[in-house]
Amino acid sequence: MADKISIVVNGKAVEVRKGIRLLDAVREGGATVPTLCRHKDLLPLGSCRLCTCEIEVDGRTEFVSACDFVVEGPLCVATESPEVVRHRRTLAELYLRRWPNVPAVKAIARRTGVTASRMTGEFAQSDPASCILCGRCAAACEEFVLERIVGFAGRGMERHVAMPFHQVDAHCIGCTSCAHVCPTGAIEIIDDLNRPADPRKIQSAGMKVNAELATLDPHQCRMREMGTLNILQVMDKYDLLPVHNFQYGAHADAHKIYGTVFRDKYLTQGQADGCWPGCSMACAKTADGFELKTGPYKGHRVTVDGPEYETGGGCANMGCFDPDFVLEFNFYCDTYGVDTISMSTVIAFVMEAFEAGVITTQDTGGLVLKFGACDESLELLHQMARGKGFGVLVGQGVRWLKERWIDEGRGDPQFLRDIGMEAKGLEYSQYVSKESLAQQCGYTMAIKGPQHDEAWLIFMDMVNNQLPTFELKAEALYYFPLWRTWFGLMGLCKLLWNDVVPADNYKEKEPHKIPGHVRNYFKYFEGMTGIELDEKKMLDQSARVYNLQRCMSYMFGKGTREHDLPPYRAVGPVTVKEYESRSERYDRQLKDLVGVDPAGLSTADKVARLRKYREEQYVKTMEVVYRRRGWNRNGVPTVARLRELGIDLPEIVALVADGQEPEA
Amino acid sequence: MITVNGNQSVEWTEGLTVGAVLRSLGWDYVLIAVTLDGEFVAPEDFESRLVPDGASLQAIHIAHGG
Repeated sequence: MADKISIVVNGKAVEVRKGIRLLDAVREGGATVPTLCRHKDLLPLGSCRLCTCEIEVDGRTEFVSACDFVVEGPLCVATESPEVVRHRRTLAELYLRRWPNVPAVKAIARRTGVTASRMTGEFAQSDPASCILCGRCAAACEEFVLERIVGFAGRGMERHVAMPFHQVDAHCIGCTSCAHVCPTGAIEIIDDLNRPADPRKIQSAGMKVNAELATLDPHQCRMREMGTLNILQVMDKYDLLPVHNFQYGAHADAHKIYGTVFRDKYLTQGQADGCWPGCSMACAKTADGFELKTGPYKGHRVTVDGPEYETGGGCANMGCFDPDFVLEFNFYCDTYGVDTISMSTVIAFVMEAFEAGVITTQDTGGLVLKFGACDESLELLHQMARGKGFGVLVGQGVRWLKERWIDEGRGDPQFLRDIGMEAKGLEYSQYVSKESLAQQCGYTMAIKGPQHDEAWLIFMDMVNNQLPTFELKAEALYYFPLWRTWFGLMGLCKLLWNDVVPADNYKEKEPHKIPGHVRNYFKYFEGMTGIELDEKKMLDQSARVYNLQRCMSYMFGKGTREHDLPPYRAVGPVTVKEYESRSERYDRQLKDLVGVDPAGLSTADKVARLRKYREEQYVKTMEVVYRRRGWNRNGVPTVARLRELGIDLPEIVALVADGQEPEA
Repeated sequence: MITVNGNQSVEWTEGLTVGAVLRSLGWDYVLIAVTLDGEFVAPEDFESRLVPDGASLQAIHIAHGG
């Protein structure tokens, strides 16, 4: 429980939260205190001095600026004592002398009962939109977008706001944060490049997100500190982190590669985000001066871009919990132009095959490819790049390897099909989907292959139990892939949708959709194009492209039912050992969901019973999803659906004509 | 006994708070939206809000990442 403190505001007892700023505390006590420099979304500046109050602590009196004074214990505060009022009036006169026509200054003068300034001098600036040197703009530049482009220059009466050397700084992308917080309108943004229909609409939505990142991110996802890697710790905790080729969801050593480890020891903080300059989330991270231990650049000190969550998750999947390895693996995947997700998933598959005896050191050129083999994994990468050795075969991917090994008669074909984590030829990304039917479908039915960027429904389905019926799962698998496809269509990043969440999101009817941020995106669209948008219009925009993609997938031979079926490892425990690692969970499911008493059954029997149930559930879900999407039982978009979306052009209909079924 | 998310049960004890229920499930996720018998509970009230016996608590993890 937050500690409460009793304080006295102008003679009235008030209970406030310990650690609150005095300005907020006196407001809770019903007092109003004037200020020019305070902005609710910025850290207190204490520069205008108008909020000065008189406090008494342990019999001692002092004057403090209320905006930046932290209330740590009992005190009495007077917001309008004779000394405070005199001080405030003097300040108001000084402000009024210099900026007589600025509305915010005139309001302060009225508030303090000042009608004219006694001061004299040649310093008056008559422009009502004059800069009053409050410093909000410089603070917004630093706190909202982590830049220091706008700042103060000059001294004394020459003090003014400027960019360095009074030149337009190329780092400024015109984010408008400075103009947004300016109390006088001294900074005006003129967007003559993009010509948005309504720039204010874009600005008002964008500034809300900027403020959330400055004020909420440190208490939420900490994207600014460690980027997407923050979620690795969450996944480990909720048994969703892929470990040893997706067999398990957590590992005792996973803490060694938590985001906090990289934040504290490796990441270079406070640097411009290399992904998108001016982005207030700035989640892309780098480790500077990292010395490589292997490969063609051994001994070089390099900058490593990342790691992102999926790279960390992929390393856990290989059983490699060494942060130095994570960075080296990340660097060489980037350098060789391969994706860390596919590379780690294929190596994890190879490791399981090695441990199961499907392949031996005879096949690997002597490499002992057990889980956790960091050096050997890097060697595979280097072999692949050199075009020599076993790494060349590994580079062909999971589908190619498992089919080759099945053709060669190695091991049990079913086992290889079960543990080869690919669909449509693409390797699975780094979440354990076994306990979420919706996530299994989200992955496997994704048009491009099992990527999580269409629908990431693990929490909604598994933990929140928000999708208890096939229909609700299907609805989520309709909405989210379309919503997330829409980001791509608009060229907008999805992270500002759900990697920071409005403080009042919990009051929303559908909090999981983060409706406040969905509305932001609609405003960006409307502000830029002048076209009004709502959920249905957005979904239809996206569905046109999504269905066209599915038609093209069909044209390429991968847009039908059999390509939407997952390897069993994505659905449930393949092996006895895997089942027994979570036997309490699986036994309970057998009893509660399958209606089978696990007592007396062998683990192999239990694996088989659970498998039959889970595979049936998957197929049922997939079929309901097909119906919701307007696709037939074979997963092909119907001509009726294409017509409904207005994309029934002859050349598109021709793509799927031979896949149509008679109406049921 | 109280019900969480419609499919989990947590033993009720005298003085049980929303925060204690979440901890008992190991749910320390930062972005959780909670309703208690249909009424929203603000995060700052998790530790003070008492959960009555027989209550239905919904704890929605707002999924970030992905």
